[in-house]
Amino acid sequence: MNTAPVLQITGLSGGYSLNKPVLHDIGLQVQPGEMVGLIGLNGAGKSTTMKHILGLMSPHKGEITVQGKTRGSDPESYHSALSFVPESPLLYEELTVREHVEFTARAYGVERSDYESRTSQLAALFNMEDKMDTLSSHLSKGMKQKVMIMCAFVARPALYVIDEPFLGLDPLGIRSLLDFMLDLKKSGASILLSSHILSTIENYCDRFIVLHRGMVIAEGTLAEMTAKAGLQGLNLEQLFYELVQGGK
Amino acid sequence: MDLKELRRQRRSRFTGSLIPYVGYIIQSGVAMVFLLVLIMFSAWYTALLRDIPAGIPIRWIMLLLLIPAAVHSSFRTYLQTPDTIFLLPQGHRMREYFAPSWVSGNVWKILRLAFILITIWPLYIRTDESPKGLLATLLVLILVKLLSSYGLWRETAMLSRPAASGYNLLRWAVGTLMVAAWVWQPSIRALIFIVILAAAYAAALSVPGRHSVPWERLITMEKNQGTRALMVLGWFVDVPGREQRVYARRYLSKWGSGITWQRNSAYRFLLTKSFARGDIFGIVLRIAVLDLFLVWMTRGSYLGSGIYVFFLFLMGIQLTALRKLHSESFWLTVYPLPEGSKGKGTIQFVFRAHLVLALLTGLPLLLELGDRPLPALGTYACGFLLAYLFRVSSTRKEARVDEDDL
Repeated sequence: MNTAPVLQITGLSGGYSLNKPVLHDIGLQVQPGEMVGLIGLNGAGKSTTMKHILGLMSPHKGEITVQGKTRGSDPESYHSALSFVPESPLLYEELTVREHVEFTARAYGVERSDYESRTSQLAALFNMEDKMDTLSSHLSKGMKQKVMIMCAFVARPALYVIDEPFLGLDPLGIRSLLDFMLDLKKSGASILLSSHILSTIENYCDRFIVLHRGMVIAEGTLAEMTAKAGLQGLNLEQLFYELVQGGK
Repeated sequence: MDLKELRRQRRSRFTGSLIPYVGYIIQSGVAMVFLLVLIMFSAWYTALLRDIPAGIPIRWIMLLLLIPAAVHSSFRTYLQTPDTIFLLPQGHRMREYFAPSWVSGNVWKILRLAFILITIWPLYIRTDESPKGLLATLLVLILVKLLSSYGLWRETAMLSRPAASGYNLLRWAVGTLMVAAWVWQPSIRALIFIVILAAAYAAALSVPGRHSVPWERLITMEKNQGTRALMVLGWFVDVPGREQRVYARRYLSKWGSGITWQRNSAYRFLLTKSFARGDIFGIVLRIAVLDLFLVWMTRGSYLGSGIYVFFLFLMGIQLTALRKLHSESFWLTVYPLPEGSKGKGTIQFVFRAHLVLALLTGLPLLLELGDRPLPALGTYACGFLLAYLFRVSSTRKEARVDEDDL
């Protein structure tokens, strides 16, 4: 069923300093319609990997392609094919919620009619209808996070890169987000998701990639990873604990 | 913890961050233009003093110049967001930290006030029927200044923001009345009025409930002060992107919504919204209103032409600062904006805004078309030429930035 991967990372080494790479020979791919969980301890390299995918950092070695294109060869197509939800909301204080979503839609070339229908749907889903014309500086942290999620989802690219999306969200928001991600997945979108809430993502992600000290130490479905580690029957949290403790 | 030393270190760090730009400020063309304008103003003012026109409304001029200088107050506290955690336990000792802010805020502003007073003084004593003494006037103005500073400090600490806004208006009203009383009334009567008003104002300030240390408010104010300082620096030299103070301005909320729905104009959408709610808009608007008023007053002479071009130049400098807005924006790196659309969009926006301002602020010149058609049209043409020159300069700078990025 699989065609070419939406995201392919091959032999990626990188970090903030050439002499001290944070990532060591990372290889991973995300297929169309797949939700992949990127998990690891603080400082394992999850956010650095995402920064490389976004083009905020340049690899020391290796290659990243999104829908077959590298950032260097065709930056516009590369960026059009992905959207990002950051761990901490990054908003323009000058814009209202609606204007953030509109700016994103304009930047991604979303048709106006699509923007309008998607915005109404997202505002209702995330319970933000009465906040749409509020300046971002007047929102709570959770609401700011919802704006980030709405912006990412109005674009409808092939790949979503989502970093710790549940931080600050209320339980209803978390449920809405997970359900919406499942819908997106069903429609063929790919999602690379990083989270520490393993019990939540265990039931939603198709595969997992475990990063530890900048290296991929395990990957696959939960069943595949437990089988490979000889630890059948463990849940994701238990397995993760065993893997990173073992990797000491 | 030595709170005085902490503030001193923070101030030194801020001052140190500005020092590398001093050389560029001296070299910049804008500094030269300001110097030129200063020389021209001195020559014009000297000529005016030699031949003062009859009926000059000197008391109104005094009021107009002295009120902002006497009432406007601000403080640099150098507080930072983490202080709400790390300095919170020192709350009861923060007086030590704030004392130098209070002193330096007032000293500099009193010097500014004295400078304005001394500049206007030769005109005042030559034109007023019964001028007051310089020293007495200075002392009265210093009293107004200190009272305003105290008022601002109290406003900052007030629990209720609407009450603080009300007290802000009260501060300006009280300051205006005091200065007006001194300028118009005999000294003794004016002094009695000022003392009574000051006592009533001080009593009124003690009524509203207030925080012992308004941490969040002070941090926001400090952020705005820092931003303003960088903005002034930005008139002369390219400084890294900065945040700006944001105002809701609901009446402008529709501005930008009609921009063509294209990826090429996405950045223009962001810029328009940012301009409509940012401090540059407010500054440009104030300059434009003052320009319009002065050009209208002096429309029959070449002075009007000079004022028109000079203020248009000032507005151009302000508008050009939009180039630096969002220059370090995360989303502009991640979103698929067409290459070059940010630079082109900004230049186009600034040019159009400058043209509109050239057109509007020059309208009083049209009243002179019948009597002085050539100077009026020539001045207008100079305004448009100036806007075009700003555009050429911005395009060059943008091209240089693109080359540096390659």
